[in-house]
Amino acid sequence: MLRLSEVHASYGAATVLHGVSIEMGAGETVALLGPNGAGKSTLLAAVTGTIRSRSGSIVFDGAEIVRAPAHRIVQAGVRLVPEGRLVFSPFSVEDNLRLGALRLEGELSERFDYVYRLFPRLAERKKQPAGTLSGGEQQMLAIGRALMSRPRLLLLDEPFLGLAPLVVHQIRSALEKLRASGLTLLIVEQKLDIALAFASRAYVLIKGAVVLHDTTADLVRRANLADLYLSLAPRG
Amino acid sequence: MRDLLELSVSAAASGCIYALVALAYLLMIRPTGVINFAVGEWAMVGAFGGFLLLSKYEWPYALGMAAVLGFMLLVGWITERIAVRPLVERGAPLLAAILALLGMLVVFREGISLGFGPDPHQVPEPVSFEYLKLFVIGATLVVFAAVWLFFERTLWGKAFEAVALNRRAAALMGIDLRRVTVASFAGGAAAAGLAGLLVAPNTSAHYLMGVPLAIQGFTALVIGGVGRVEGALLGGLLVAFAEQLTVRYAPLPSGYAQGVPLLLLMLFLLVRPTGLLRARA
Repeated sequence: MLRLSEVHASYGAATVLHGVSIEMGAGETVALLGPNGAGKSTLLAAVTGTIRSRSGSIVFDGAEIVRAPAHRIVQAGVRLVPEGRLVFSPFSVEDNLRLGALRLEGELSERFDYVYRLFPRLAERKKQPAGTLSGGEQQMLAIGRALMSRPRLLLLDEPFLGLAPLVVHQIRSALEKLRASGLTLLIVEQKLDIALAFASRAYVLIKGAVVLHDTTADLVRRANLADLYLSLAPRG
Repeated sequence: MRDLLELSVSAAASGCIYALVALAYLLMIRPTGVINFAVGEWAMVGAFGGFLLLSKYEWPYALGMAAVLGFMLLVGWITERIAVRPLVERGAPLLAAILALLGMLVVFREGISLGFGPDPHQVPEPVSFEYLKLFVIGATLVVFAAVWLFFERTLWGKAFEAVALNRRAAALMGIDLRRVTVASFAGGAAAAGLAGLLVAPNTSAHYLMGVPLAIQGFTALVIGGVGRVEGALLGGLLVAFAEQLTVRYAPLPSGYAQGVPLLLLMLFLLVRPTGLLRARA
């Protein structure tokens, strides 16, 4: 469903990704791990077309999208829930969701029902400005907004960052429902325990390159899991 | 009393012209962050369009007006394509686009002066002269109401606003940023061109008319604030009232009155740089 081969990406003169290759099949849940500054968010930016300088090959559903503008990639069925949520705070919950559906081909009311069923809290607050929601509710809105265009691949950038344990649990069970419904998920996560329990395979990214790729079942059996990144860091 | 009423109507009419120019700035600044000082020259192009179609070829006013506005949409569209988009696509900073647009300002002004000469040209009024001011006020209110409705009530208006709030988040929604940018320039050019067309029966179409309008409009924008469409209208009216009350009542030689908007501009930049109306946060 998604195949990255030798993807390079840079911000100005600073190259962040040095030839990353990743592959995922339809319906899979894959985790992207790595320390701060490893290039995880940059990789998501490259897939969604929101970083200017990117090269290599990114094939989604058989179509090359590495040069496609961001709105075409959304149209193709790829959605990102960005780190920091980036909801439009002056707009109501409902308007945020409506903007999420700009590239929807299909019935809008069906999508509203779907998202409100997944996150009943959003239905209770649909007239409220997004900026007045709690952090957890904003995360629900960010995920719901991405689901409005009925994506086939959902990218999540640290969806649990800074949330209370109870909210983490709520969002996690929503994501499990999405996984069970067959949606393909790529999740960036710093916390190994959540990521390894949730995904079936994982890629570890360090300094802009994939240093390890394994099933999560095998990863959790590694002896040096506690300092995984340290043990994988390139020497010198 | 009658004096004050006449003064108010007259100030409101010139305030509306400034407000339209301020609106032109605002339509482009909100989604792109680009301050386009060529709005004054766009107003001039609109005025000359009026001269050409209404005076020279004697088209009926409504038809000529529609044609000028349609032409201005095209002017804004082309300006964005040649002076802004190539820079944005190469990752140039905003300042590069602002400077390129200053270059376009010169191109428009010299182009018009080559084509029409340095003399002022008469542009007819849409209604008899005594109702001209009311026509200007009415047309401006219609434009502001339409723009307000677009931003508040339509999904595409929200999409424009989303680009203003956060470009990256807007792109992730599937909003085509290039299309929003080009549309904001087309809309800005139409608003500026309308200002030029409406002011022309009073001032005539002249190749140097642009810069004063660009300055008054910019002052109005700073005073009203770039956050809200209503701010442009409020700012325009305040500038015009300050100007005309000074001319009428202050014991100053009339030349000095032209400095009043600039004093206001400085005052607002020092005391309230966000303008009177804040964006909803």
